[in-house]
Amino acid sequence: MSGTTKRLPAGFEQLEPFVAQWAVQGTATRAQLRGSSTEADRAAFYDAAHDILPKALAYLDAKPLKDFDEKETALMNLILSLGHVALSIEIQGSEDAHHRKVRTHMRITRSAADRDV
Amino acid sequence: MAGLLADQVKAAPEDEIERLGTDPIPTYPYYRQDYYELEVAAIFRRSWLQIGHVCELLEPGDFIVRPVEFANVSILLTRGPDSVIRAFYNVCTHRGSKLVLEDAGKQRTFTCQYHSWTFGSDGDLLAAPDFQRFYVDKARCGLRPVAVDICAGLIFVNLDSSPKEGLQDFLGPMAERIKTFAVARATSFSEYVYDIDANWKLVIDNFQENYHLRIVHARTGGRQSEDNPFGYPTGFEFMGPHSAQTMPMSGGGDVKPKPVQGLGMAKIVEFAAADGLLGGPYAKDYCVIFPNLFVFGSGMSPFSLHVTPVSAGKSRGTFRFYWIGEDDSASKRFAREFVTMMMRDLHAEDRPSIENSHQGISSGALSHIHFQSQEVPCRHFFHAVNSRVEEYQAALPHKHLTT
Repeated sequence: MSGTTKRLPAGFEQLEPFVAQWAVQGTATRAQLRGSSTEADRAAFYDAAHDILPKALAYLDAKPLKDFDEKETALMNLILSLGHVALSIEIQGSEDAHHRKVRTHMRITRSAADRDV
Repeated sequence: MAGLLADQVKAAPEDEIERLGTDPIPTYPYYRQDYYELEVAAIFRRSWLQIGHVCELLEPGDFIVRPVEFANVSILLTRGPDSVIRAFYNVCTHRGSKLVLEDAGKQRTFTCQYHSWTFGSDGDLLAAPDFQRFYVDKARCGLRPVAVDICAGLIFVNLDSSPKEGLQDFLGPMAERIKTFAVARATSFSEYVYDIDANWKLVIDNFQENYHLRIVHARTGGRQSEDNPFGYPTGFEFMGPHSAQTMPMSGGGDVKPKPVQGLGMAKIVEFAAADGLLGGPYAKDYCVIFPNLFVFGSGMSPFSLHVTPVSAGKSRGTFRFYWIGEDDSASKRFAREFVTMMMRDLHAEDRPSIENSHQGISSGALSHIHFQSQEVPCRHFFHAVNSRVEEYQAALPHKHLTT
């Protein structure tokens, strides 16, 4: 019964601590979460996850999206959030707090990723 | 060093610079209410304007409703049982009530909520209670049509009841170009929108020059090559009121080595290549379709920008990323969301600069502004707008704008 609390597929245990905060549905929700999270939360998630991204994509690519189970969907949403967080870490850096105020005006009104939600 | 190299980047052709002139440009067209009203009458009420995409009306019965604020009208777009896309004023022909209140949906008939007049998706009046009491034929009560045509999947309407030219003639050589872009085969899109407190032309101008790239987009603008350090376009073409620029950094070879961005960009390049969107003759073309639409030919960043004038000092920018086929794999979903959000970061950065421009220009402090040779699309655009306004004004019996 040790797997009952696991929310990600086997092999991605290191990312379990980040599921509750980051494995969220919806592009606009992920963008909002990027802005409302703390710098420390984003750094911890990025540090733990960015090396695992290629492995996660390769794992998920083995199956069509429409056949994903709950754990695979959670992993998908988690790495989609990683993409948002990476924009803060890899590109904006120390300017992210200022940039957040600017990008808040850009409302996300439709997303390819939301079509089957 | 960088300055010297930047000076060597090709500017617009000499004959175009000569044709368009080098004088300063007056500021009043960029903020005055009377000029804006002339633009609406001279341009927006009689030009082909993009209003949607065919992927929003995939099947018979699909409909969308789009407000056109500057004209104070609502347009109903339908795909009929015969698969034909039609456009109508969204107004019941009985007593003028707004007919369809939803933004989009699927239905074959539209019933007015006031007195239940019911229309088909081809616009015909199908039924009305007690119709025998009226003094008019049903055949004369169809929805009032709006001129509509399609190019490269983009739906255009023209509010002129008899447009002086068809869409294909209006687009000219631009039509063949955009037919090679992702938008022409798109089946879905992602979208983000912002409202800007600025005149619509200041929004257009921001997006047709790369002079501000190194300043406003210092982090998001991407790494430029040594021989073009400021990311200037390497070519300009002018096609009637439209124009196209060749962008320097859309070839796929400029991927930063950062882990997540690098993987996201590598994936989007892979999918663009699979869709045949890389390496074509127009794949680096950034097209400005008069008066208010941009379409980028890059398969890596397949976006359009539609600029809606709301008033003399307010505009809306709607960005769409056009996708061919659904997200069918994790990598495709990741790459599409990543590139869309990356570009959202970049596009969001323009808003404060555009609003600051409007505040300064509308203060009346300056009588004129200046465009350099790399800003020649802005100058070309000003002339395209102003010549139409002047032509319209000249035909008016008594109304003349005092400058």
